[in-house]
Amino acid sequence: MREEFYKTLSSPIWWGTLAIAAIMPFVLSSYYVHILTLALVYVALASSWNIVGGMAGQISLAHSLFIGIGSMFSAALLLKLGINMWLGLVISAVISGILGAVIAWIDFRFQLGHLSFVLITLAFAEMGSIVVEGWDFLGGASGLLLPKDTGNFLAFQFGGGHGAFWMMLGLAAICVLVNVAILNSPLGYYLRTIRDNEKAAQAIGVNILRYKITAMVISAMLASVVGTAYVRYLTFADPYLLISPVITIEIVLFATVGGLGRAYGPALGALLLVPLGEILRGKLGSTLPGLHYFIYGIVVISVILVTPRGLLPLFERLWARWRGPAVAGKS
Amino acid sequence: MTMTRRTFGLGASAVLAGPIAAPFIRGAGAAEPTIRIGMVNSMSGGLAAYAQEGQPAFEYIIKKINAEGGIKSKGGAKIELVLADDTSQPARTAAEARRLITEEKVQLLTGTILSAQMLALTPVVDEAKIPTLSVWAGGSQSNYMFTLGYPYDRGYAQTMHDFVISLRDDFKFPIKTAVMAYSNYEAGQQSNKFLVEKLKASGIQIIGEAALDIRAQDQTAAMVRIRSLKPDVVVGLVTPRDGILLHQARYNLNYHGSIFCGGTGGYSDLSLWKDLGPEIGKAVLTRNLFGMTGFSAGAKIESMQKIVTELRDVAKLDKIGQGAVQYAQAARVLQQVLENAKSLQSEALLDALKNVNIPAGDPNLYIAKPKGLQFAEDRLLKDGSAMFIQWTPEQDQQVVFPKEFAQVPPRPKS
Repeated sequence: MREEFYKTLSSPIWWGTLAIAAIMPFVLSSYYVHILTLALVYVALASSWNIVGGMAGQISLAHSLFIGIGSMFSAALLLKLGINMWLGLVISAVISGILGAVIAWIDFRFQLGHLSFVLITLAFAEMGSIVVEGWDFLGGASGLLLPKDTGNFLAFQFGGGHGAFWMMLGLAAICVLVNVAILNSPLGYYLRTIRDNEKAAQAIGVNILRYKITAMVISAMLASVVGTAYVRYLTFADPYLLISPVITIEIVLFATVGGLGRAYGPALGALLLVPLGEILRGKLGSTLPGLHYFIYGIVVISVILVTPRGLLPLFERLWARWRGPAVAGKS
Repeated sequence: MTMTRRTFGLGASAVLAGPIAAPFIRGAGAAEPTIRIGMVNSMSGGLAAYAQEGQPAFEYIIKKINAEGGIKSKGGAKIELVLADDTSQPARTAAEARRLITEEKVQLLTGTILSAQMLALTPVVDEAKIPTLSVWAGGSQSNYMFTLGYPYDRGYAQTMHDFVISLRDDFKFPIKTAVMAYSNYEAGQQSNKFLVEKLKASGIQIIGEAALDIRAQDQTAAMVRIRSLKPDVVVGLVTPRDGILLHQARYNLNYHGSIFCGGTGGYSDLSLWKDLGPEIGKAVLTRNLFGMTGFSAGAKIESMQKIVTELRDVAKLDKIGQGAVQYAQAARVLQQVLENAKSLQSEALLDALKNVNIPAGDPNLYIAKPKGLQFAEDRLLKDGSAMFIQWTPEQDQQVVFPKEFAQVPPRPKS
């Protein structure tokens, strides 16, 4: 694990990409910086989901719950109890981790099949949504408006557009690195074994409960942290966005289109599809309402038809063909 | 020609590449000097009904202003609308506004902008210092955001309270108890808070709540609760969808023991008859029910009746309800802002917005405001009041409140 991980960490391509990304706010208008920031939010979320959904093969729809806790709960702690958002971030992440562990335990204890797991996690997400919309402390259906971002780092403020972009860039990079680390560690091998054949994994002595819980806890905590950062960027904690199962569907879509179970697949999916969706809406939204959704849908269907395993494997194949034999990526 | 994966992939890549390359491709600028107004509407998604009805009316008024010589104080400058669709999602309202400001260089913003969208938009308009007129928000959190929507407190809650008290005191309806039945979403919750306080202060006993789940497929449970509590009046802000389900449940349970007072769409929208059907409509809408609305074709307001006729006969619009009139009003407000502003700079436009004044009786005042249209210090309408109507079996509305616009007294309880 360490060798692969440190190879990535010392890669000039990795650092060069980050450096180019970091200067984007000086090159692009605030609209395109916003789109990139949004893409980075989804890079981080899709990468965090990939640990459970891609590597362990557990299609969790509960991630809106973790994002919702990270965003709505930390915002409420700040606005209702005056708790600093850094501390709110930690508290929310711990609660999300505990909930993630409970969900993973339920999955193991009751030997849920794939479909049952999907439905159970969806039920958790729906319950979270109902609780938030009906509880005044969390803003109810009206949501919560955070104080203006004046750039006070100690108060979890990053100074608006550029600062938020860099913060999300850092967070997205961390989430991708966590994927790289897990994928190349024993945990990653165990998770893939569980995904491919759970009974065989158990038979050879893989501690299913332990690794499922570990994956879910890491994934839930990361999603929660991204949720806190996202709500700080948005300023408005909107329950219909942040704790809606729709956000999980989007994450699953980006991860699937990019390449499920790959370290960089979900990031690629988000980096292509988020700007595509946003720009299509901007260009076509006023021409014929809904047209952008239609084109977006056609693109997604096309990608899935052309390369069912995602875009990253396709790019790897094309790269290998161009460069000669190459080592295929882990998935 | 057969479609292979490769050709399919090439096509998809082309579609992908175009929008992604967009920021790096500069378009040719327009040569003609115009005033650009950005309009972020919810043309798709769950809130599309507002803008699909309102945008054509808004565009009609803008075309009319341009045809009549544009903004005269600005040398006859024409207004150019730059449209955007936020798909009814607040975060996208903010994103589209950002695009209109930075890419399209608009000087003013307007659009559906309901309360949640207003909150999401607040940091963007604050940062860009762009004067903005919301058609429907119930509040404002930015110095640059003004709204024509009903304030939750002195709009929705005050009007509903005043009508209930008027029924009790002026028309001697026996009203001592109330159940709060409201759509359980942002505007419903907010207006309910204020309404409960006001009703209690006026001596009405609140004996229960029936919050309507906005995702429910049926409101029978809420109606059963109302029937079990049997209040004198059922009151609250209800969306059209919840209204339809509530009235259906009321019909199925054949419940007529309370007076139903509420707003706006769930009680007053013209589409209720279509969705409920004439039989259910006649049974429940015309009996013990009063609806709050900002617009009614029958109201004794000459300018309102004129604009309805014009939108129907000249603009040839199919759907003319509260949405169309509200958007038409927004266009007239923006016209006055542009005429009165000393320049097209942000601060000058902001000053003009603060000082908007369309007095009662003005032909450009389309909505029911006995004291005219002005903005208060909080950037909400000074006069946030609305009207109450009752339905007739012929599917028409009769204004019953306030007395300035009333056509008939409220129908007695039956």
